[in-house]
Amino acid sequence: MSAKKASPAPLASPIGASPPRIDAHEKVTGAVQYTDDIPFGPRLLFARIKRSPHPHARIVKIDASRARALPGVVAVVTGEDYPGYIGLYLQDRHIFCRDRVRYVGDPVAGVAAISETIAENALELIDVKYEVLPAVFDPEQGAKADAPLLHPKLEDYVVAPFIFPQNGTNISNHFKIRKGDPSEVWGICAAIVERKYTIPHIQHVPIEPHVAVALVEDSGKVTLWASSQSPFAQRNLIAKTLGISQSDLRVVAPAVGGGFGSKAGVSMEALAVAIALKTPGRPVKLRLTREEEFHTAFVRQGLIAYFKMGCAADGRLLAMENRYLWDGGAYTEYGVNVTRAAGYSSSGPYEVPNVHADSLCVYTNHPVGGPMRGFGMPEMHVGLEQCIDDLALQIGMDPVEFRRLNCLKTGSTLVTGSKMHPIGLPECIDQAAKAIGWGSKAAPSSPRKRRGKGIALMWKAPAMPPNAGSSAWVRLNEDATLTVGIGGQELGQGTFTVMAQMAAAALGVPMEWVRIATPLDTEYSPYEWQTVASRLTWSMGNAVVNAARDARGKILKVVAEAWNEAPEDLDIVNGNVISYKTEESLPMKDLVVYGLPRPDGKGWTGGPIVGDGNFMPTYVTGLDKETGQGERAVVHYTTGAQAVEVEVDLDTGRVTVLRGVAAFDVGRAINPGLVRGQMEGGFVQGLSTALFESLQLQEGVLQNPSFVDYRIATTADAPEQVEAIMVEVPQDDGPWGARGIGEHPMVPTIPAIANAIYDAVGIRLSSPPYSSEKVYLAMLEAGLVD
Amino acid sequence: MTNARPGLPEFDYIRPTGLDEACRYLKEHAGQARPFMGGTDTFVRLRDGVWHDTYLVDVKHLPGMRTIEFDAAQGLRLGAAASMNQVIDDPAIARHYPLLAEAARSVASFPLRTRATVVGNLCNASPAGDTTGACLVFDGLLEVHGTGGGRSIPLRQFFLGPGKTALASGEIVTALRLPPPPAGAFGHYLKLGRNALSDLAIVGVTALGYPDPSAGSGFRFRIALASVAPVPLLVEAAAEVLCREPINETTIRAAADAAMAACNPIDDVRGGAEYRRRMVRNLVRQAVTDVWQRLLA
Amino acid sequence: MAQHTIQMTVNGEPAVAAVPSQMTLMECLRERLGLTGTKCGCAAGECGACTVILDGEPVNSCMVLAVECEGASVRTVEGLSRSGKLDPLQAAMITAGGVQCGFCTPGVLMTARALLDRNPHPTDAEISEALVGNLCRCTGYLPILEAVRSAATAS
Repeated sequence: MSAKKASPAPLASPIGASPPRIDAHEKVTGAVQYTDDIPFGPRLLFARIKRSPHPHARIVKIDASRARALPGVVAVVTGEDYPGYIGLYLQDRHIFCRDRVRYVGDPVAGVAAISETIAENALELIDVKYEVLPAVFDPEQGAKADAPLLHPKLEDYVVAPFIFPQNGTNISNHFKIRKGDPSEVWGICAAIVERKYTIPHIQHVPIEPHVAVALVEDSGKVTLWASSQSPFAQRNLIAKTLGISQSDLRVVAPAVGGGFGSKAGVSMEALAVAIALKTPGRPVKLRLTREEEFHTAFVRQGLIAYFKMGCAADGRLLAMENRYLWDGGAYTEYGVNVTRAAGYSSSGPYEVPNVHADSLCVYTNHPVGGPMRGFGMPEMHVGLEQCIDDLALQIGMDPVEFRRLNCLKTGSTLVTGSKMHPIGLPECIDQAAKAIGWGSKAAPSSPRKRRGKGIALMWKAPAMPPNAGSSAWVRLNEDATLTVGIGGQELGQGTFTVMAQMAAAALGVPMEWVRIATPLDTEYSPYEWQTVASRLTWSMGNAVVNAARDARGKILKVVAEAWNEAPEDLDIVNGNVISYKTEESLPMKDLVVYGLPRPDGKGWTGGPIVGDGNFMPTYVTGLDKETGQGERAVVHYTTGAQAVEVEVDLDTGRVTVLRGVAAFDVGRAINPGLVRGQMEGGFVQGLSTALFESLQLQEGVLQNPSFVDYRIATTADAPEQVEAIMVEVPQDDGPWGARGIGEHPMVPTIPAIANAIYDAVGIRLSSPPYSSEKVYLAMLEAGLVD
Repeated sequence: MTNARPGLPEFDYIRPTGLDEACRYLKEHAGQARPFMGGTDTFVRLRDGVWHDTYLVDVKHLPGMRTIEFDAAQGLRLGAAASMNQVIDDPAIARHYPLLAEAARSVASFPLRTRATVVGNLCNASPAGDTTGACLVFDGLLEVHGTGGGRSIPLRQFFLGPGKTALASGEIVTALRLPPPPAGAFGHYLKLGRNALSDLAIVGVTALGYPDPSAGSGFRFRIALASVAPVPLLVEAAAEVLCREPINETTIRAAADAAMAACNPIDDVRGGAEYRRRMVRNLVRQAVTDVWQRLLA
Repeated sequence: MAQHTIQMTVNGEPAVAAVPSQMTLMECLRERLGLTGTKCGCAAGECGACTVILDGEPVNSCMVLAVECEGASVRTVEGLSRSGKLDPLQAAMITAGGVQCGFCTPGVLMTARALLDRNPHPTDAEISEALVGNLCRCTGYLPILEAVRSAATAS
């Protein structure tokens, strides 16, 4: 092993660069494997699920004898065999319904057969007798004392300590903020706005529907392959409900075709495992049709929000009184935390001395509310940011100026009593306003159109348990490439690429030398809480950096011993170990597996290098049950602003978004190209929910369960341009100062568009989507058109 | 919950080689057999469980089904199985019936239009059918073949209700015929969907106008509406207004009002009746104004 | 119910499959021929994830029966690159950032390929219109349109 003199000049750091994503090639060639692409051989069985046609009913009797007799059917499963409860924050759900069904689509039985067609045909042969029960379709109704009780056993459910169910009611969480006293200051407010906003249910609509394959071996070991954001959470929750040990359930998570939260937690995956337990030795595949996605996958819960806010004559916000009633759906095991997150964020990104907020999660006989991009923030900001505009206009203040005055800044006191860490929200506002050309209006494209501009701010913290952890390992190979093991999933957001950049930078090697160990597999991947909450760049990034630094330290220790130097005088640059003292240089190859000979020639030092690291926040203190106050409610906040320019057609009511500007404080953009991807993609997804999307539920039955009538944005609906502005005020404990950005670009889009519509035609709608029809009828009612 | 199947239900694919064979088969298996061409409506209904046919009869390859012919005397013969993309690309249609190409172009998406057919769109008899208006205003008729031989059905008599046509058991449409278009005609299809492009028509307005010295105004218009009645609707009253009196902004408004009065939309998951009525008025005004300006130019 | 044996040419190679009448081309490609690059997003002709090129024209393969493809020539995403060299559309999609989760990507590429095959220099409006039936939930479409523009300009 010869040492070379004079190390080469270091390559530019990958941090802050936008190299192409590392999984791009396999995606454009169709080589990447999603769960439904994996061949499982001729022994594969297919499952289909028998589902409730009623929103609320008691199951009187299930007779599956005819189905079991159908040739090709291998097993039929019901809730009888699975008494356990399952849930992330509140265990309120069974795998298959046992005594009752609580929403249209609730799983009642599962069939495994040799073909999907036979399994489907078998469903018709399962006879279920129901006794229909009175149903709840509205959280305000559901919260009343005399409402039918959907979960009579609520007080027995296992629940996380920071969730507060109200036993004997349909309220599965009640989060309160009691800060100061609004009643003392309403009298001195120069302007008060009081509004009610209703946000309909929408859905994630990943282009890849849910799919899971489960195999139970004779030994009892279970393997689950699933399109999954959360292999470890799925392992944990499913193992717990089945009463098996986590290590006896292996979860493999291949490529995911879009998640947005729908593939987090546990939804249909448990069904596949439950069915496979009855067909040991044969894998069982369950895939949802698109219609089943709409009917039965997680939804973003609806919200009825009451806002009251007041400000002084100079524009300073003095008080807010907000009441949020969440239409949590049939099971709120995940949705209870959305309620909490909205509660501790209920002031919006503003400093308000007096805030009373009540955020209630209410059971209804609607589809199951779960985690969706934004986790309560988009729903809450719809009304909040429109009220802010209203208030500003009432006192004759420009909406941008009003926000500039009241927005959170470094050191601001938050609604939970904590202090805001360094943030660049004021700069986001300034940049967004400037980029959209705030204060000037171009002429409309025709006499029958009106133009308007609108702005909205947002804030969001990762909503997760206080001890959600990340871990990583880094293994060096003989060619000096490194394989990085992580448990966080690539959903398209680019996490594999960003982790490769970070590992390379932390170790001192070119980014091309980094491989990510895929697919994620709980057998060898290190633990990651979940891929949600925009937490990976920050949390898993820290773990990856720690693991890479650990490996680096081990490498330098070996070379230091071989060279008889101090490790502090050594470094790794471009994959070469160099000495600043002697200018010696040694390629990392070989030494990272085989070590180096001792300086005295007698023996060897080193060996195969494996680094490990983890990260878990340790400083979240919790919030008082009655007041919602606490020293540190969350790990950190990402804040930002969006501004839009729209055109409204007076003849049809059609709202066209001409262009958008997104300005977010990301701390540090590790890969600006990927950050732009989130800002553009989130904006268009937000635009889609603003103009087109709602799950039309009537008496609990979904009226638009397909792409024909659940419309999402197409190429023709995207604006000409979405400008992505990255403000960088570093996060103290983020890798290179980075914090999350995945969800945030979708949060302020609806109110930004609503505010722009108001600017254009002077009308406000009490709920999205702002369809052409709703806008036209509102203009009609306002006398703007005839 | 009613749920679509994961894939198509079981059926037999039948491919007759002659028209008579096809019609006989359909008649003999009436209630169990259905003809199909592009399949874009058929497959969806089968998967949704709305139709339950045991035999799907592929009639695309029968003689004359795919050709497009035009001559100045006879007009257009559009083979039933000619795809919407073929219609959009056809030079004769672009020259003589550009309104039909415009309407076809508004349907669904580029890949779907490789399979979708104009005749299929007509036989589907949805009041929302995008090409129904153009075919009606061009006074189209359908060449039909049955076990008893061939006949023609004028389009004005073809649509009997949502999904219901005047076809008898065992009959197949072999072609759409459009007579030579009126000289100097201009047309416009205005479609209002939820998205900017690609959606079904929440309201569709087809307007065709041409010079006619025998008309009081010197012009005749034909106006058809989609999605605002149980069938695609030709609105004679609106056309009358434009034919009687000199055309100007006021008469165009009056025609639009007449169209609004003549339609009968419902509330459904896609849109409300009140909105649809007003959109009929606004879009008829726009479409007629557009055609009028081109007639004057 | 009848089984049919069909012979097609797929990505330039002969392919034979035994299919029931109701099997779609999409299912045949994925399950009989192991070509899983073509994706299923809705099975109803709405999302475009299953788009392939059939006899030179783009189709939603979930809306075509396999049995109708006897003697036909099919091109899927696996057949876009030649001898390891990416099609300009594939390369442009990577450079422009038009791939995130990748699930819509094969369908997008095939529709765009069919567009450029018939219209090598489309306008921006023509590109947008041609891709309106390919739904994407991740990218917001802008980099996809940019990729098609740049591939068209490059050729």
